[in-house]
Amino acid sequence: MSDATHQEGGADAARPISYTLSVNEINYPVTTSPGSALLAVLRNDIGLTGTKEGCDDCECGACMVLVDGQPVNSCSYLAAQAQGRAVSTVEGLADSSDLHPLQQLLLDAGGVQCGFCTPGMLMSARALLDRNPNPSDDEIRIGLSGNLCRCTGYDSIVAAVRQAADQLDSSTGS
Amino acid sequence: MTDTVDQSVQDGRRRFVRADGPDKVTGSGRYTADLQLAGMLHAKFLYAGTARGRIRRLDVEPARRVPGVLAVLTDADVPDVRYSPGVADRRLFARGTVRFEGEIVAAVAATTPEAASAAISAIELELEPLPPITDPEAALSEDSPLVHPDWADYDADEGVVRSGNTASFSSLSRGDAASAMAKAETVLSSRYVADGCHAVPIEPRAIVAQWEGEKLTVWTSTQVPFDARAGICETLGLPTNRVRVVVPHLGGGFGGKCGFHFEAHIAALARAAKRPVKLVFTRAEEFLAPDRRREGMTIELTSGLDGDGRIVARQGRLVLDGGAYLADKAFFPQLAAMQATGPYQIPNLEVEAHLVYTNHQPAGSVRAPTAPQGCWAVESHTDELAAAIGMDPVRFRQVNGLDTGTTGPTGQVYDAIGLQDCIDTATSMLDPTSETADDEAYGVAVGWWPSFSSPSGAYVKIDDDGKGQIITGAQECGTGAVMTLRQLAADEVGLQPEDFELVYQDTSAAPFDMGATGSQTLFNNGRAVVAAASQLADQLKELAANRLEASASDIVLADGHASVTGTPSVTVPITELAGEAAGGALLLGHGSSPELAYPTGTATCVGDQGMSAWLSPQFSCHVVKVRLDRDTGVARVTNVAAAHDSGRILNHTGALGQVHGGIMMGIGQALTEGTVYDDQGKQRNAMLLEYKLQTAADGPAINVEFIESYPGEGPAGAKGLAEAPNVATAAAVSNALAKLAGRPIRQMPMTAERVWNELKPSPSNNDTSITEEGR
Repeated sequence: MSDATHQEGGADAARPISYTLSVNEINYPVTTSPGSALLAVLRNDIGLTGTKEGCDDCECGACMVLVDGQPVNSCSYLAAQAQGRAVSTVEGLADSSDLHPLQQLLLDAGGVQCGFCTPGMLMSARALLDRNPNPSDDEIRIGLSGNLCRCTGYDSIVAAVRQAADQLDSSTGS
Repeated sequence: MTDTVDQSVQDGRRRFVRADGPDKVTGSGRYTADLQLAGMLHAKFLYAGTARGRIRRLDVEPARRVPGVLAVLTDADVPDVRYSPGVADRRLFARGTVRFEGEIVAAVAATTPEAASAAISAIELELEPLPPITDPEAALSEDSPLVHPDWADYDADEGVVRSGNTASFSSLSRGDAASAMAKAETVLSSRYVADGCHAVPIEPRAIVAQWEGEKLTVWTSTQVPFDARAGICETLGLPTNRVRVVVPHLGGGFGGKCGFHFEAHIAALARAAKRPVKLVFTRAEEFLAPDRRREGMTIELTSGLDGDGRIVARQGRLVLDGGAYLADKAFFPQLAAMQATGPYQIPNLEVEAHLVYTNHQPAGSVRAPTAPQGCWAVESHTDELAAAIGMDPVRFRQVNGLDTGTTGPTGQVYDAIGLQDCIDTATSMLDPTSETADDEAYGVAVGWWPSFSSPSGAYVKIDDDGKGQIITGAQECGTGAVMTLRQLAADEVGLQPEDFELVYQDTSAAPFDMGATGSQTLFNNGRAVVAAASQLADQLKELAANRLEASASDIVLADGHASVTGTPSVTVPITELAGEAAGGALLLGHGSSPELAYPTGTATCVGDQGMSAWLSPQFSCHVVKVRLDRDTGVARVTNVAAAHDSGRILNHTGALGQVHGGIMMGIGQALTEGTVYDDQGKQRNAMLLEYKLQTAADGPAINVEFIESYPGEGPAGAKGLAEAPNVATAAAVSNALAKLAGRPIRQMPMTAERVWNELKPSPSNNDTSITEEGR
């Protein structure tokens, strides 16, 4: 994933840079190659391995994180681009004691099997509900269509997101 | 479906709590690629990159000079061992010859992935390319060059019938198919060709190996840790008790991670470098290198019907593209032949199946090997048979399909089985005779699949606080099968599933299990856990009998208490008994599930691999509704109804997950998933943008019913489950598309292009011949 550092550009292009990343509301000082992907920095430099690498090519969605609330495939997003932005990963989804409703309802619905797509799926679902608190089933399916799951057939995941939308909606009283 | 709590395991609909669930939704669960060890190096492989060739020169010295490189290995650096189950046709590294593009020529370990890649690029490899052998049919001809010129010298199991490029041959025959065919009222022949395809777990495989003195630990994303250990021991010459294989959370497998793959390469690198070494595959490597892709298959079927529409004879010839090495698939031809007969009463049978070496990537177990393709062909053929005599296709299956007490195509007599219930249930859930729009049609297919028995073991213990552990050799690949073991143990001793934690996926902690393969986990390890837990139950009853001054045979364990039968007020909490046991005879149980006796048939089998009669056979019927865009050939499955006889369902949530997932995989195989090879035998679509999986937006409305009236021989009447849902879907889609196109689509996947070609006015396709004699 970081082979790019050995390809194009002269010495300057490969010279490490130091900056601060805000991940789940914690500031981390990092020193990386300018070409380092956000996924690699999250996993290898910061030590948050909840975000997964499935293809390194924006095809599977296992690496989905939120940058300022927008879902991005972190395998193909430069870490340095995230300076000054708020990065959210699966590790920040739950409160310290309780699972987020998306997490609990996904478990209850049988939407977790091998679990490898789960972190990315949860982040896409969260971004969906943030921008559309009452999505239709079709909107849920489209909102999750960038996240491949080979285990579940998706129905249980869609059901969990729908239930989470209902639960979050009633808890905010809107 | 998950709202009832605290019922016995006999009700599989009670609430299911995954023991590994919180790990997986919070990101705290560790998968192999998440592991980091001090001093850990990074591995890369040099692949042949050519489907067939001779190695003229291989110089790895330039790789050794790359800064940061600590180990470089080739065939010269590992023990001289040829291995593989069935036929020992494989080496860790290519020797002299390369037989597929993903064959490993060299391996390096370096301090960074970049240094490892640079070292791979520095290796000087000169290959003399040879014309690749890519057409399995041509490979069978006597004048074909051989993929393995030395095949006759390989060590092989006696039961594997092989010759030249035929890696394994099997046939099934019963009665006199030729005579019966000659007398049949209607005879119909069809030919179908399925492309190979892939398992595609979302987790690319990863391995970490570390030596401490003479002891080796390997963390690996395998479905079969004991198989992986056996491969390491065989190829590196190690005793099993010095090799520990641990599987962290496994990110899916679907068969792709069955078998021994790359663990020994990484262990050998770690030994040479004197450092821990880690391998993480790219998605492209996941497509190209493993020897577990689904086999391409050509299926030719001829069936004869009598005047009542009964199948009186079937002849079949199957050719399976096995790729460069046999891997685990010596039994595939016989299993494929069983699929080509289908769950029908056929008194006269003659099917031969050839598994052929080619210079393609080796095939191997992928979820229900040979079945989606075999079922697709036989069920498409079945619709053609019904159409030829003007019989409703569902009626045709009811008339010819197996039923309780009937004799199957290989002479196995079936006890109580649920195929007819599956047909009735699925067709009532989604009535294939109901009205549709012009661009829509229904398709129906039935499927079958065995349950597999294997030795399997487990320990169960309860410690002083009344909390238990199940220490099992079983492997969880996501299905929930291992997670369900908690229910089985809890029910034996009167505790809750949540009172047990699992210690699993560690070959040095637990007894043998075959792994997450063949849908066998609950079927076999479930029996072992029940046996182990029942020992605990006996121990608890003895303790309770002393405490309550009763006979042990009168003690009932339920709801966390031991009580005297008929006197529920005389009771003691199990936690108290556990505390007492901790000061004396410990609460320990061990269980081993011996192999179950297999039924037999009467068919004559050449190349018999034990697949002609099935233990606890599973049945299914899928009805699909498909919409077709005739301008583009793009098909979309809008509805699926699935009825399954997989015996008693122990975990309804988990079982539903298997059926839904299997159906979606089947739709993918039907419409989009297929490997495309170039004329040099290399894959052209080894990436997820070109090899299209189904997404959430593609999903149809799926309804599932389980037929639970026909118990199997697993724990509490269970059969296997996880592969069976991946059998009939593609066939049902085919039968819907055939109605829309006016003729069957004879190649799978039934891509938009292939469907569109069949929609053209002039028939392009003469693969069916019908003779109607005496009419």
